[in-house]
Amino acid sequence: MEVQIVAPTIDIEVKNLDFYYSGTNHALKGISLPITKYKVTALIGPSGCGKTTLLRCFNRMHDLYPHHRYEGEIVFQNQNILAADVDLIALRSRIGMVFQKPTPFPMSIAENIAYGLRLKGIRNRSELAGRIEEALRHAALWEEVRDKMNDSAYDLSGGQQQRLVIARALAVEPEVLLFDEPTSALDPISTAKIEELVVNLKKDVTIIIVTHNMQQAARVSDMTGFMYLGELIEYGATEKIFTNPDKKQTDDYITGRFG
Amino acid sequence: MNIEKKRKLEGFIALALSTCAAFVGLFWLVFILGDVLIHGIGALNLGLFFNDPVPAGMAGGGLRNAFIGQLLITICATLIGVPVGVLGGTFLAEYARRTRFAQVISVLADIIVSVPSIVIGTFIYAILVRPVHHFSGWAGAFALSLIMIPVVLRTTEDMLSMVPWTLREAAFALGAPYYKVIIQVVYRGAATGILTGILLSIARVAGETAPLLFTSFNNNFFSTNMNGPIASLTVTIFQYAMGPYEDWHAQAWAASFVITVFILVLTLAGRLILKWRYK
Repeated sequence: MEVQIVAPTIDIEVKNLDFYYSGTNHALKGISLPITKYKVTALIGPSGCGKTTLLRCFNRMHDLYPHHRYEGEIVFQNQNILAADVDLIALRSRIGMVFQKPTPFPMSIAENIAYGLRLKGIRNRSELAGRIEEALRHAALWEEVRDKMNDSAYDLSGGQQQRLVIARALAVEPEVLLFDEPTSALDPISTAKIEELVVNLKKDVTIIIVTHNMQQAARVSDMTGFMYLGELIEYGATEKIFTNPDKKQTDDYITGRFG
Repeated sequence: MNIEKKRKLEGFIALALSTCAAFVGLFWLVFILGDVLIHGIGALNLGLFFNDPVPAGMAGGGLRNAFIGQLLITICATLIGVPVGVLGGTFLAEYARRTRFAQVISVLADIIVSVPSIVIGTFIYAILVRPVHHFSGWAGAFALSLIMIPVVLRTTEDMLSMVPWTLREAAFALGAPYYKVIIQVVYRGAATGILTGILLSIARVAGETAPLLFTSFNNNFFSTNMNGPIASLTVTIFQYAMGPYEDWHAQAWAASFVITVFILVLTLAGRLILKWRYK
């Protein structure tokens, strides 16, 4: 039997990206990095280093606000997603996002998941029900909510809400999932569940996770990028970044000397 | 006098004054409501709702024309005012968010809310009554809707602004277009607040007299023709209370009672909805 070794494919390539919140607020400076398919890439760095700003470039979240400006390219499957003519609705259904604080919609648990499915044009009741269950199972929440699907999503605990939001994002079957400090508002047990989930999800989606928790980055990610003052200081395999980084700044941050 | 005693005395004076003020306010409120209740219930009978007025001075008759007219004018005003108010508020809070234009409109709406309603009445008189040379129910409905619009618009704007922005981002992140974010997520988050605003604005216009005097005027006969003058409870109360007949006075009391209860129910409903939402 022939064993084929497949080199990890690059899913997204960030090329020389600069981002400005306004004319003078230069938040990202010359960022270049490859995002590997079906891997977890963590972005770490002190507050204000631009990691969340970078994350929000991948689904063009900045476009909701005026005066922003991108320079450079983010190539996702041969397409520069920063181009002016990109269909943001299509882009965001392919690149999903989970936020820092849980963001359940003011509706029932089932309807929260159905929301994204309906956006995709799925109206058939039995198909909706099937996809809702599938998404909740995928997010390891099904057993906890199966008997209260019509309860308000606000009745769930913070950790459950966050998994509900992940299920909602998964339901539309994105190719990439962005996590913006997904556990910073959660207790340790909920955090552990989310981390486990992130690791399990990477067989189906490419994951980029922003975290200020270095242990978390070390636990869940395959690749890590360290950012400081809007620049990507170092990028590489997580193990290497955390044990033997090339740059002194990275080493200082990892060992807790600043940040 | 030492400082502690002085402070206690000051505290006592402040307490006494504010309690007095509260009782003065409360006294007249209870007086008015009690008066309306006593006189109103006494004059209330079923005939009031099912009979039309009889010639002046004769006993009997009812105010069917005024009840129906009031209902028609209020419903039409709501049908005009609520969509314009809600959509306008949506524009200000969402599409024009944080623009100078939206701020100017908000301030203007606040000013219009406090414009005396008789000014709105004369305005509508000038543009909808005078040119056609006759009063009409439509003119009355338009006048009331003009009073409703800024109230509904500002409530909608405030309620939508209270929906956390992260909720919109989450919906955008799923690939939702803005109108679906607004209709399916933001409106749901703000629904009870907006509904309360609508109910309170209806309650507000249901008690208006001045704008109707110049627009729908009054009609002693039963009419559902919105193109002609039409009776309303408030104008009828005004006319009957000023009239020389005992019977008119009694009916004015009864009408006052009914309209007060109507507004009370709307206001309570509005408050209950809010309470139920934020329990």
